[in-house]
Amino acid sequence: MTLLLLLPALALAAAVFLWPLLRYGWLSLQAHSVLTALVPVPNGGANWQRLLADGRFWQDAAQTLRFAGLSVGLELLLGLSLALLLHRPLPRRGLVRAVVLLPWALPTTVMALGWRWILNDPFGPLNGLLRSLGLPAYGFLSEPRSTWLFTVLADVWKTTPFVALLLLAGLQAIPAELEEALRLEGANAWQRLQRLTLPLLAPYMLLAALFRLAQALGVFDLIQVLTGGGPASSTESLALYAYLNAMRFLDFGYAATVMLGMFALVLGLSALVLVGQAMRRRWAAAGLTP
Amino acid sequence: MSAGAQPHLNHRPRQRGLAALAALLVLLFCAGTGLAGPRPVEVSVLMPAPFADATAPLVAAFNRDHRDLQIAVTRGPLDTEALSDLAISSLLLGDTPYDLLLMDVTWTPKYAAAGWLEPLEPLLGADALAGMAPGAQLGNAFAGHLWRLPLVADMGLIYWRTDLMRVPPRTLQELRDSAAQLEGRGVVPWGYVWQGRQYEGLSCVFLEVLRGFGGHWLRPGEEHEPALDSPEAIAAARWLAGLVRSGITPEAVANVSEADALQIFGAGEAAFMRNWPYAWAELQKPGSAVAGRVGVVSLGDGTQGSWGLSMLKGSAHPQQAAAVMRWFTGEASSRELAERYGYTPVWQSLLNDPQLQQQLPLLPVLRQALASTALRPLTPVYAQLSDVLQRQLSALITGSGSPEAAMAEAQRQSQLILQAAGPVA
Repeated sequence: MTLLLLLPALALAAAVFLWPLLRYGWLSLQAHSVLTALVPVPNGGANWQRLLADGRFWQDAAQTLRFAGLSVGLELLLGLSLALLLHRPLPRRGLVRAVVLLPWALPTTVMALGWRWILNDPFGPLNGLLRSLGLPAYGFLSEPRSTWLFTVLADVWKTTPFVALLLLAGLQAIPAELEEALRLEGANAWQRLQRLTLPLLAPYMLLAALFRLAQALGVFDLIQVLTGGGPASSTESLALYAYLNAMRFLDFGYAATVMLGMFALVLGLSALVLVGQAMRRRWAAAGLTP
Repeated sequence: MSAGAQPHLNHRPRQRGLAALAALLVLLFCAGTGLAGPRPVEVSVLMPAPFADATAPLVAAFNRDHRDLQIAVTRGPLDTEALSDLAISSLLLGDTPYDLLLMDVTWTPKYAAAGWLEPLEPLLGADALAGMAPGAQLGNAFAGHLWRLPLVADMGLIYWRTDLMRVPPRTLQELRDSAAQLEGRGVVPWGYVWQGRQYEGLSCVFLEVLRGFGGHWLRPGEEHEPALDSPEAIAAARWLAGLVRSGITPEAVANVSEADALQIFGAGEAAFMRNWPYAWAELQKPGSAVAGRVGVVSLGDGTQGSWGLSMLKGSAHPQQAAAVMRWFTGEASSRELAERYGYTPVWQSLLNDPQLQQQLPLLPVLRQALASTALRPLTPVYAQLSDVLQRQLSALITGSGSPEAAMAEAQRQSQLILQAAGPVA
């Protein structure tokens, strides 16, 4: 009976998740490109061999990890601060919360165009600010060593509210009496945060990190609009590379291989986060501090 | 019981009414089809939004004049690649709703090799391009078939400031010299702006410089072999990177597209700009700081960037679609588009037309530019070739590596792409 009730959900999951995955797996074993007139021809593991030897795939993987690591880290930190702030009784709290959420509500493309303008050299407002301070203009989007930091900035600006919202929900689930009890026992704000809020918020942090990590590792539209992957390919992400292979090069076999490579990466990272969490819990249960 | 019978009685008139209505509809349908004859054939065309808007009055007039043939234009995205994505998505599904597609010149071999296009010479004859400017004829045929009819010609041009110099440069060397001089004297903040963002525009800019140095992207006559490590190609790469390193071109050029370049030049911040013909009209608009002080010149062999109509395979009425194509690209429509929107005509007769020249002061420059254009490699793997070139050039102009190393790497990667492509390319 239980199985029967689960069946619709399982069927749906299979249709939207398992089937595409299997299809990708099949595609990654075919030469299926404009050169085969879009007819799939099995080519053994040629696509996978190519992937392993493809310096660009690994460069993009490193760049994607770098982007996702920094932006998710910053988003958790800022999101937590924001959530703690929004949790306090503020005047006009509803309005403040709505304003904080605004960046999240903007479509990524629109927000990326906005940032491209803000970061414009020499006409952007940010360079205007530098100039008024007597500093020379800076090529925010034309300097291969630093441009990725500004893609992170745009991403953090947009998605911190999402993390804040999740964590705010977590904060509101913490009973006020617990905090009150700690306060009566003389715990200061930092101790209350460390001993009570953070441990109880951990599952929410984990959830936010997983959601954001999965999204950030697949970053596409932001990069496409802001930099197009440049300068000197320093901001190209794996999703952008897969897109190029599929839609520009019409090489669907290799695009599927890149996508699967990316999928393996996301899976591996998520597993790492979950295992880390489980180990911490076990340590905590054994009375050890990590 | 009577209560049960009541609704039944009530239903009867309604049923009768329905039957009468159905009969009337059937009658109307029969009468309609009988009177109007067969439904008009509809040819549907996918175009980028600006083209769809520009051709809207023409299409409306066509639809008024033709009862049996109607044109339905779909406004696609403005961005070139976004339009390609939309078209490809519809083609991958197998049954595309479009008969005709307005295509960028670089797509033709890719779409043809994918089997998405209908060869045109059986429908339009082998001489469909006769009478067009030589530079506009290029890039429409591939692998022995004609796949595209050009609608608007486009090529790279140099924009210069008539208030800063008396005559425009005629060579790359002269361009560099006057740009350096004007910038050095502090007359303008920058000497020369072009498209240096890592995207197709950068390949277009490079190709023009490459031709200026006498080089080629692919070895002439030997189309499976790139020529990017030739001394000419290295000199071209050094020239471009040198512009940035010597400060003639701002470092910001590494994220400059057509619109960004237009903004810098339009604000009076540069002495020269490389752009397409559309920039001319933009620079005459009220907001422009340089209106009336802009000249245009072709240094010869500008990168060809025309748009043209292709027929998608599986069109239900190829004959009618071919007729629409002929009409769209014909001289009458061409003249209208040139007069109204300044679209560069492809027809030699229009380019030489004194009357049109009065309305379009740019026409002599365009005619001269269209005598010889530089075509990007005609191969289904062009996007890959352009991509590796952009990567190397972007790295070079942002300051890493030497022109020799960049071009050697571009050459090596292009060779791999062309080898993998084999005879299809």
